[in-house]
Amino acid sequence: MALEDFRADAMRCTRCAYCKWIPFDLMKSARFAKGCPSMEAGKFHSYSAGGRLVTALSLMDGRSTVTERVKDSVFKCTLCGQCDVSCKICRYDMEPLEAMRELRATLVKDGHTLPQLEPVIKSLRNEFNMVKKPAERRGDWASELKVKNLTTEKAEYVFHAGCRYSFDGDLAHITRAWVAVLQKAGIDFGILGKREKCCAGRAYDMGYRDEFDAESQHVLKAWKKAGVKTVITPCAECFQTFSRKYTAKSGSDIKVVHTVQFVKELIDAGKLKLTRPVHLRVTYHDPCHLGRQGEPYIPWNGKEKKIFGQAVCYEPPKPKYNGAFGVYEPPRNILKSIPGVEFVEMERSRESSWCCGAGGGSHEAYPEFSQATANERLEEAQSTGADAIVSACGWCERNFIDSANSRGRKIKVLDIVELVSQAL
Amino acid sequence: MSKQVPRDAYRAIEDIVGPDNVSDDPALLDSYSFQWLAELVRPNRSHYMPRPWAVVLPGSTEEVAAVTKVCNKYDIKVKPISTGWYHWAAPMKDDEPTVQFDLRRMDRILEIDEKNMYAVVEPYVICAQLQAEVMKRGLNLNIIGAGCSTSIVASACAYFGGGPSSYYMGNNSDNLLGQEWVTPAGDIIRTGSLSSGCGWFCGEGPGPSPRGVTRGGLGSRGGLGTYTKCAIKLSPWQGPPVLEPKGPPPGYRLPIPDNFRVYTIGAPDWDAWANCYYQIYDNGIGYIFHRQFNLAGADLAPAMWLTYIDPNKTLNDVETLAKDSEIKKITEEARISFQFVMQGNSIDDIQLQDKILDEILRQTGCYKVKRFCEPDMAEFTNMYMQRLGHKHCNFIWVGGYMGSWMQPGTPDFVKNYVPVAIDGFYRDQKGHKLVECGGDAMMGCGSTIGGGGFFGLEQFVSYDPNDNDSIDACVKHMEDAITDTTANGIPPGKELLYLQIGWTDEKIWDAFAKMPQQFVLNFQRKIKEAFDPNSLGDRNYPWLPEGYAQRSKAAGSSSQQKREPKRKLASK
Repeated sequence: MALEDFRADAMRCTRCAYCKWIPFDLMKSARFAKGCPSMEAGKFHSYSAGGRLVTALSLMDGRSTVTERVKDSVFKCTLCGQCDVSCKICRYDMEPLEAMRELRATLVKDGHTLPQLEPVIKSLRNEFNMVKKPAERRGDWASELKVKNLTTEKAEYVFHAGCRYSFDGDLAHITRAWVAVLQKAGIDFGILGKREKCCAGRAYDMGYRDEFDAESQHVLKAWKKAGVKTVITPCAECFQTFSRKYTAKSGSDIKVVHTVQFVKELIDAGKLKLTRPVHLRVTYHDPCHLGRQGEPYIPWNGKEKKIFGQAVCYEPPKPKYNGAFGVYEPPRNILKSIPGVEFVEMERSRESSWCCGAGGGSHEAYPEFSQATANERLEEAQSTGADAIVSACGWCERNFIDSANSRGRKIKVLDIVELVSQAL
Repeated sequence: MSKQVPRDAYRAIEDIVGPDNVSDDPALLDSYSFQWLAELVRPNRSHYMPRPWAVVLPGSTEEVAAVTKVCNKYDIKVKPISTGWYHWAAPMKDDEPTVQFDLRRMDRILEIDEKNMYAVVEPYVICAQLQAEVMKRGLNLNIIGAGCSTSIVASACAYFGGGPSSYYMGNNSDNLLGQEWVTPAGDIIRTGSLSSGCGWFCGEGPGPSPRGVTRGGLGSRGGLGTYTKCAIKLSPWQGPPVLEPKGPPPGYRLPIPDNFRVYTIGAPDWDAWANCYYQIYDNGIGYIFHRQFNLAGADLAPAMWLTYIDPNKTLNDVETLAKDSEIKKITEEARISFQFVMQGNSIDDIQLQDKILDEILRQTGCYKVKRFCEPDMAEFTNMYMQRLGHKHCNFIWVGGYMGSWMQPGTPDFVKNYVPVAIDGFYRDQKGHKLVECGGDAMMGCGSTIGGGGFFGLEQFVSYDPNDNDSIDACVKHMEDAITDTTANGIPPGKELLYLQIGWTDEKIWDAFAKMPQQFVLNFQRKIKEAFDPNSLGDRNYPWLPEGYAQRSKAAGSSSQQKREPKRKLASK
């Protein structure tokens, strides 16, 4: 795709501003009605999905040029996709999230990059991770665990920890806990250790397509060499990248499951029994990449056609990604099956979830914006009276922990596996 | 932009609102000049209205007033928007430097007075937000026809304010109580009871009541300063304190409480439809009255909505479904239909309303459209009508919609223009450049003005904004609609209002000069002179230059006979 391919989307945008809000039907209060972190930070219309479509159009038509303000409005966004869900409440012919990704890629291609992102991309190129750590230390989290290394051994599944869980010392206990849970269920799995590489999904979202292409080939080759057929990952971003972006780009047929899906199946199959009570009131944060962006990928290569004179549809019918079929139930069902856990929903949940603030390069490029977005989510979590906010993505958890610590919040930030481990 | 504004003006505004809250970046400005309907009136079918000189995000009434005073000093126009929609929300002329106020930082609900049933809000509070809050207190507000994404201040202070629930709750132009107004001169005026220090409870006093000055029937649409707060009247709500819809998007379903009923009512002909409306109104039953689903066109509406509520389907499925024999039957059954929601104060009350409705249906020959009253569609209808969160399905076919007709009046008046509108729309669809959804894509709300039954139907013309031929066809339809109305002695509808945005001042004044009741426009000129001495507002607040009508009449008398009166408006 090229930016020009989204011209029709821009021309057909009606400036309705649905993209700034959660779906209106789901609003339960004025306080938690807004849906777009970028708009909250940038405030001008150009920070919304609709505004970015116009920016793209304006640049394509030579009405304006790329300025610092334009770069700010294009990159100060978590690409959480809430706008995409809300837009598609009334439209079948718009792809605002993909258009925003393409706008970024165009800017990067033309040399309009953010200096804040350069060290991260350099780390990806040289160390194969997005957290600026030495590649050699990638497998350190598992050094004391008895887990197969698939560079030398064979297993049915590969456990892909991802950059955040691999290198973030504060989250290492989560990575280890997943391994322990899988081992307890008797799953035959292994890891790639220091040979594991970044999925590069964040690079893709930052607009760095060449880097994504290169890194994804590394990953796919490593899996092929290890004979991998199924990938299990606890990282929502890796999950979405493997299952959607890799399949779209390379036609990868490797099965990808998130740990919450896998563990839910193990519970259903009786291989894991959650019997010990955990007395906690918890709420669940849907990671964007597992929830609304976690819908199954459906290959499509079609074109627009008109019916009834001018109505737009597609030949063949285009898959509809509107957040309807994201991974919402497995984590909730796991939490509800833990004795003693009192589960409460936040007002903005499932497809209308407020973003954690870490995505789309915001964590790296705009830490203040990223933290403010996380803080807003913690505020919402606290409003439910929950003792803990539970999630299933290392990036979300990192952002929440930092935000909670900096503001002295008492709410706990947990990964779902921490509760599962306690209940086993 | 021909006129240069000194940089000092920008710096003065920066000093007031802070550098983060003002911008003149070209791409950012374009995101404001790009507006719905622009392509219908702008040269070369451009989607851009004139670019603002700067966009300003004020955080308070005082900041609005201070920036407005700077604009007076440097001869810069002001154009406020709240949620910002319509081509007339943008600056109107290319050669007039304009500050676009984007009021999104003023987004607080200031007060909900449960006992006296009103709320006080800032301009960026949208209907959905306030509804969510007041429902917790057993109250509701009229959400305008454009939907719950709209600003309450905008609809109450600056536009018409009618909607599906106006039938029960009144138009927001009626529901406006006190308001706070920054005039184009930069003065802050508080109207009605507010100005006397008695609070927000009444728009008409005690204290001066310039409400009629600022808004009139249609409102000033950003052409006469900035409204920074208003109080809006609330109405009873007997439903749950929080709406809890079910199911995946887009067709969320809202369970129907025992004291509510949600129906789609069909009529065998337009006479029966009008009689049904009168009887419903006269009997005082019902809560929401709207011809909603017909926006998709009477030929396609059932196929479209039954597709829409299935999360797995897309518009491709409409094409298939429309050919289904069962759907064709439903299409005929629902051809002349409307959505009707009843709210009971008790179970006994709703049962009584049900009995009355059944009797009305028996007497008028109207009926409940069975498929649309089944749980899936009824619950979807309930969600749609209670929150009005799907209103931009107006654009569902292809992203372009323009509403023609919509002349308001009694149901008898409306039923008489409907056949003309239908015939005209069928004719204009034959070129295949508009969505061919049937001649009747007329949508509109039952409403009340001054306590009487009232209606208006708007023809939903869907065109492709990405196709100049389709845009041309829409403009042609607008001109044809004006011709049709003129030929049939019917006042022009919304299409004229839309087209006039592209006219020159002189062309508009020529039209005004031939209108009846010019005293209104002359009076409004005096209002403008009093409150907008430097003419910072634009012509969305209509007025007529002194002596213009007389001069126009004298100049036109000799050429009058050469013109064809019936074609005159259309040719413009």
